[in-house]
Amino acid sequence: MIQVKNVTKKYGNFKAVDDISFEVKDGEVVGFLGPNGAGKSTTMNMITGYIDPTQGQIIVNGVDVGKRPRKAKKQIGYMPESVPLYEELTVKEFVRYMAELKLVKHKDLKEETNKLIEEVGLKEVENKLIRNLSRGYKQRVSLAGALIGNPDVIILDEPTVGLDPKQITEIRDLIKKLGKNHTVILSSHILSEVSQICEKVVIINKGKIVAIDTPSNLEEKTKSKNTILVTVEDPNNKMESIKDKLKEADEIKLVKDNKDGTKQYAIVSDTNVDLRKKLFDILPKEQIIIFELKKDESTLEDAFISLIDDSKETLKDNSQTTVEEQEEKNLEKNNKTKESKNKQKEKNKKGSKKEDKK
Amino acid sequence: MWAVLKKELKSYFLSPIGYICIGIFLLIFSIFFYLTAIQSASIDLGNLYYNTAMYGLMLIIPILTMRLFAEERKNGTEQLLLTSPRSVTGIVLGKFFAATTVVLITLIISLMYFAILMYFGTPNLVPTLIMMFGFLLLSMAAISIGMFASSITENQIVAAVITAAVLILPWFLPNINESLAALDLMNYYSKFPAGLLSATEVVGLVSFAVMFILFTVIVLKRRKAVK
Repeated sequence: MIQVKNVTKKYGNFKAVDDISFEVKDGEVVGFLGPNGAGKSTTMNMITGYIDPTQGQIIVNGVDVGKRPRKAKKQIGYMPESVPLYEELTVKEFVRYMAELKLVKHKDLKEETNKLIEEVGLKEVENKLIRNLSRGYKQRVSLAGALIGNPDVIILDEPTVGLDPKQITEIRDLIKKLGKNHTVILSSHILSEVSQICEKVVIINKGKIVAIDTPSNLEEKTKSKNTILVTVEDPNNKMESIKDKLKEADEIKLVKDNKDGTKQYAIVSDTNVDLRKKLFDILPKEQIIIFELKKDESTLEDAFISLIDDSKETLKDNSQTTVEEQEEKNLEKNNKTKESKNKQKEKNKKGSKKEDKK
Repeated sequence: MWAVLKKELKSYFLSPIGYICIGIFLLIFSIFFYLTAIQSASIDLGNLYYNTAMYGLMLIIPILTMRLFAEERKNGTEQLLLTSPRSVTGIVLGKFFAATTVVLITLIISLMYFAILMYFGTPNLVPTLIMMFGFLLLSMAAISIGMFASSITENQIVAAVITAAVLILPWFLPNINESLAALDLMNYYSKFPAGLLSATEVVGLVSFAVMFILFTVIVLKRRKAVK
């Protein structure tokens, strides 16, 4: 179990992570979502004990990372975003070294190294220098480094960046497999990935948590309108007038004019009304032939964008005040420097007077 | 510590750096062997080690130590080390002794000069061993300085230049003020050529090494908070 309690990380006056708190239960797979610079990697670096939080507490399986870092680190496997590797070593040497660093017992070293190399699919390149491997393989070597020693908690910073589609599905399957008996935190830009793998999503923006929920709940929550997409053949252009008969519809708009004579319309209504049944009834009566009719599923992508946009607006308000505050401070500073300059001038004058007296 | 030591040694000899350092070291040894032993027909090896320490260390040690932490930091592999359950002190000591081992290998090879002299006469082994011991201590002090320089930057060249400067500049300091002579590591090596093992010098060199090892540990621990 990972508990992050009121954690803040400051760089000077800039807050990279601002008072975030969340919990990851045993055996949960949690996805970290957020735009670039949101504070995902910083948070992960703090959980792994690579950097210290400015404020707050992180507890991994009951061990405080700040107070007993070595015991906490023993339970964590970490794959950093930049995939750092010792390029002069071979795959086998690297995994073995990582095993030694992770305090794997000497007698288990060989067995565990070989087992993991097989598991991650590195058997055919195990004696190659890491320098000569392709990006996909490097990623897997880095993953092997995180998994060695069988840690309870696995933290993966963007594990699928730069992989081809086949490799991505392979790594995803591996993560799903890991999720059965490990606690996994992973960060990603790819939303479909998170909704596929993770049971819980933490969305961060500008260092603050915007939402924590299951992917499906998030999709549900952010949906404000029901949209039905209908493709019709409408020779008499009656779709325009159909709105009078469909009183529940807020809006009917043309989405696309297909070249085969069909047109796609979007029909927007409140979330609690489903117009599909009615459309099936009404449209044929108006001699409109339905080719396709479907409900537009809102995706995690929409949820993500709307959440981030919301937080941007609130942030804007905040930043305006801070800008004003800063300006005030600057003014004060300028005044102070002016004062000190004046004092200096006076001092200089006094000094010169003294010299004159001499 | 052992895991890091083993890996660092491997890295030294998987890249050309280990061979270049030992090679240049032996070249300098050979030149001074010719100048101090052959040319003056002497079987005393004291000056050989003293001169090599004076002119060799400031060239070799920066190259040997510049990559220790700077390379890890630049490549991000520092993250792997510092998120592992190993202690920072263990990691630092592992790296320190890896570099020391490279110097030790050179010193063992340098016994060949002793063997050559045995052909011409009967050189004294004990003063030579004392001289070598002193050389090792001196190198350890210099390595700790180099390692510290490497830990404060991610640029290997900057690390090397800082190390070279710290090793060379103290030569000229006594000209400014006599009391500054204490900063010159070579001062702690001046009694060894006579075959004397002086406690002051041994303690001086060891405390130099310990001090900079501690500084390195502090820098690495401190960076966690600042980074």
